[in-house]
Order: sequence, then structure tokens, then C-alpha cells
Amino acid sequence: MPLWFARGLRRGVVTTRYPAGPDGSAAALPTPPAFRPVKLTRELVDVMISVCPGPALTRTADTLVFDVGSCTACGRCARVAPHAVTPSGEFELAATARSALVKRIPIRGGQR
Amino acid sequence: MTAVEPRAAAGTREQLVRQLNGLGGLEVTGRGGTQGAVTVRLLPETLEAATHVLAGTAGTRLADMFADINGDAPTLRLVWAYEADEPGYIVIESEIEGEQYPPLSDIAPAAFVEECEIYEQFGIRPAGGKPLNRLMLPPHAEAELPTLGREPAQQPEEVHAPHLVGGQAFEFPFGPVRQAGVESLYYGLVTSGEEVVDLYMFTWHKHRGVEWRLRGKTMHEAIFLAERAEGLSAVATGWAFAAAAEAAAGVTPPAAAARTRAVALELERLYNHAAATAALGQATGLSVGQAAAEIALERLLRVNAAAFGHRYLFGVIEPGGVSRAPDAEVLRRELPGAYDELRRTADALLSTNSFVDRLEACGILTAEQARRLGLVGPVARATGLANDARLAAAGAAAPYAGHPVNVVTADGGDVFARFQVMLGEAAESARLITQFLDGGTAADCSLVAPRAGAGLGWAESSRGEVLAWVALDEDGRITRARLRPGSARNWRGFDDACRSQNVFTDIPIIEASFWLTVAGMARLGG
Repeated sequence: MPLWFARGLRRGVVTTRYPAGPDGSAAALPTPPAFRPVKLTRELVDVMISVCPGPALTRTADTLVFDVGSCTACGRCARVAPHAVTPSGEFELAATARSALVKRIPIRGGQR
Repeated sequence: MTAVEPRAAAGTREQLVRQLNGLGGLEVTGRGGTQGAVTVRLLPETLEAATHVLAGTAGTRLADMFADINGDAPTLRLVWAYEADEPGYIVIESEIEGEQYPPLSDIAPAAFVEECEIYEQFGIRPAGGKPLNRLMLPPHAEAELPTLGREPAQQPEEVHAPHLVGGQAFEFPFGPVRQAGVESLYYGLVTSGEEVVDLYMFTWHKHRGVEWRLRGKTMHEAIFLAERAEGLSAVATGWAFAAAAEAAAGVTPPAAAARTRAVALELERLYNHAAATAALGQATGLSVGQAAAEIALERLLRVNAAAFGHRYLFGVIEPGGVSRAPDAEVLRRELPGAYDELRRTADALLSTNSFVDRLEACGILTAEQARRLGLVGPVARATGLANDARLAAAGAAAPYAGHPVNVVTADGGDVFARFQVMLGEAAESARLITQFLDGGTAADCSLVAPRAGAGLGWAESSRGEVLAWVALDEDGRITRARLRPGSARNWRGFDDACRSQNVFTDIPIIEASFWLTVAGMARLGG
């Protein structure tokens, strides 16, 4: 019969304070998109809205409204507009107010 | 009427279909039938006799039952798994005139949960007035029933099967809010002190109307929701759905894409079995054992993320193929170490008497119970039944035809047997992943052109067979989709397992050994 107490001690403490340091495995995680305003056009934004499976993307005139709280980081918007959307690399998304999760991104592409 | 026992010897599928045709059935060939399965259309008056024939034949199993409405009269569909020679599926369909159909669960008890479901969705019920349980809304709710079709003739209060508590027994309520991280589920534990006399569940707290929300979507839009019907089986549910849609559209995914799906599916099985191991450690009070299994689980999830870009493998399956190919180098380098972590932990647990003692003779199910209730996955295989959707070689299971799976079974029927099956399957998954990688994987998709049709798809999740049935209109939009994860089948065996001479503290152990999700049960229309 294994000595679980000894096994636990041998393994040592694997929990740490957060954050203990950069976590290499985080790079492989899907993260919400980051949009490049100068590459966004109304038409492109409408295409991205049509492929978004949730309510994360909406448009008001020349503004893309991005609700990070509704985003599942599925990557569909990046797939239809790879030149305008890249993974943000951010996964620490907690906020103290719901409204802080809603970002307004100006649509600057196609403007003179 | 009593449940029919399988007395007729298993013949070929053709013989069985001929027998059904002899009852007045009509085999539907071509686009009118369900692609990926044999379809037999029956008149409602012969439905009962046909169910007798199928339930009475060895090697057949009622795998699912659901309804659809297209016009005035609902159509009832029964999916029978045929497990003798060349495993596959037979779909029986019958248009139901009026409000009632024959009480099929009297012949095949596996139909009861679906009879309740269909009543809530389509307002048709088995004849004879047997009480039906509520599945999607609590009996006291004033809300309208979550129908996919039409309102039932009777109000829901009249069809709630009462749960009686008599004598010295009392009901111990547990849930729906349980400890952190565990899904919402209510147990009514009926006990006389310590022994569990009866147990019933309320599963409506998580209904999300997934089947309802799939209607009107294209298969490419719908896959996002389909794989979230049971997130811990995202690959299996997504694959079954994609296979059903592909069958309906007459598309076959490229071989390398099918192998990629198989790699993801086996990774999903590995991490789920590791999670079940951790849950067994927790349920038996072995915190270090639990932590050791969770370390293995975390390593496996990180392998998933490194190989496929998502810890839980979401977004891999696409209708027509896959959206991502695995990083084969990462898998070959990292997977053996992560799997060894799980195996070492399991070996240590299996040599711990206090752990094994809690598992043996706990939560026993017999092969007879598993067969009557149509149970699937490790729960069924731990009773000695060797059903596995990966053996159905056509369609969804195509990659396994070239890389045969060794189906792991045990015969104890208890928690220990289920744990042994899971560990055997984890070893088998690690072996299969290497074979599929050697065979070649790729992010590849076949083009899917819109066309009308219906198809059946399946996959073997870590919880057992997942089935999906999809009907498309001429624009390729879904008119009806049915998703049946393994959890939706196996919860019906959980109460039986809990009643088999167990005490209160055995319940978490039995639940960990079933390793089901409430989401998989609560995915229906609403």
C-alpha cells in the first residue's frame, strides 16, 4: 500500500502564489481578438458580425462594439479577416464592472 | 404488458429488415430515408409489433427515440443499434395520428425517458395513461411547456409521476446547488437512515434549448452550439453532429481529416478518464491521490492546448472535416509523459486498500439492467456488454476501420469494474493516437453543397455512444436536429446503481464512476 503522505511530500508543493511568473502553456490558449482599426471597414465588420456565433460583436455607425464578456475566443472573426484581427494574447479578463468588458473600436479603414 | 427479452437469435441486418417489411414496413432507400442508416417506415398500428421484433432480437439495442413535426402529424423515430454482424443502425419512423402512440417503454424500457421528453416537446404520449416524469420544467412551473411542436392536450401537472415516501423512510434533499465546480442537479435521496432506499433526480436546472436553437442554422453555424451541448464531450458531440449533417448532404470528409478527428476524440477520452480518476480520489477522501490525478489531468489539458490550440478541444471539428491539424511533434513528445502520470497515479490507487474497498461491490449494475435501459460507454462495458460506436465502421467511425479498437470490458458491474474499464481505455487511447498520427493528419475539409436530406451520425465519447440526427432543407438549413450525448442515456442507470444496497457516502463514488454531465442531459428544446 503506497504511503500517500510520503508521496505528497516527495512531489512537493505544486501550488504557488498567482502569478508565480510567466506560464509557457498560456501561449497555447485561445484568447479574444485584438482589432486593428485602420484595417476595419464597415463591410468587413458586418462580415465578422455575421460569423460570430454569439452577441460579442455589434456595429454602430463607424464603431465596432466588442463585448469581451460574450466572446468565446472561437477565432471565427480572425479567420474571415486575418489582416484586421489577431489574437490579443490576453486571458486575464476580469473586471469589477460589466461595462468595463465592452470595448468601442473606431472603424478607420476605407476613410479618407 | 411486460418488457420483451431478446429470444430470437441475431441474424443479419437484412433478415431483420425483411422481418419488419413482413409487418407492413417499407424500407426507404435513396434521399427520402436517413442517410448513414437503414430506414424502415411503418404504419402506427404496426409500431408495437415492430418494437417487439427488434427488442426480442439478440444484438439489437434501442439507442434513441425522438419526434419531429413536419406538417400536421408528428413523426416518431426510433434508432436501433444493430451490434451483431457489421454493426450499424436501423431507423424506424412512423407518423403518429392523434395524441397517442403504443406504450413502447412497456416493451423496451429504454424508451421511457424519451417518452417523457417527446410529450413535453410534441404533446404526444404513450397510450394507457402511465404517469410520465418531467424532464425540462419543474411540475410547479406555470410556464408553457418547452415545445418543439405543439402543446400537449393535458396540462403538465396531470402527468407528473409522484415520488412516494412511506414507512420509516424520509427524503433527504440534495442540490441543485452543490459543491463548487459541480453542475446543478437535484437528488431526492429516500432513506431510512443510512441505506439509500430510492433516489430520483431533477435535471431541468440547466436546460438551454440547444436542439431548438439549431433550427434554421446552417451546419457550419450550428456546430458551435452542437459541440457545446456537452462541453466535456465537445469532440464526440461535434463529430456525431458533423457526421449526421455530412450524411444528409452526401459528403465524406477526407481520410486525413477523419484521422485528425480520431486523435482529438481519443485525447478527449484520456482527459475525461483522468478527471474521473481525480473525482474518485475526492469521493473516497484520498486528497493526495486526487491531487496526483489532477496533475495528470492538467498535463493532458496542456497537451490538448499545445496540440490543437484549445484545452477542451473546442473548434476542431468542422462539417466536412476539421479546422485544425494536431501538432504531431508535440503529441509524440508530451503525451507519453502525461499519460504515464495518470497510469502511475492509477497504479498507486489500485494498490491502496482503503480506495479499492470503497469501489468494490459499490453501485452495481448487471448486464441485464444495462441492456434493458440501453446504457452505453464504460458503464455498459463494465457489465460485460461490448457495445462501442467505434465498431460501427461506416460513416463517423471510418478511421477506426483501419485502426481497430480493442474494446475493453469487465464483468463486475460495480464502480471498480468501471474504473478498470476507464484505465484500459486510456491505455488504448494512447496507443490509437500514435497509430492515427502515423497514418497522417491534416486540417482539411470537403466542400459541402447545400441539399435537402436527413442523416444519422455517431461517435464514441468517453461517456459512451453519442448520436445525432439532422434534417436539412434545400438551402442546407436545419429543420430538425437531434443530439443524444452518452450522458442522456446513462443517467437513467444511475438511480438503479444507487439503489443496489448502497449507503449515502457511496453516492459521490458512484457519480464519479459514471462521470456524466448534467449538461448532456439538459440540452433539449425549449
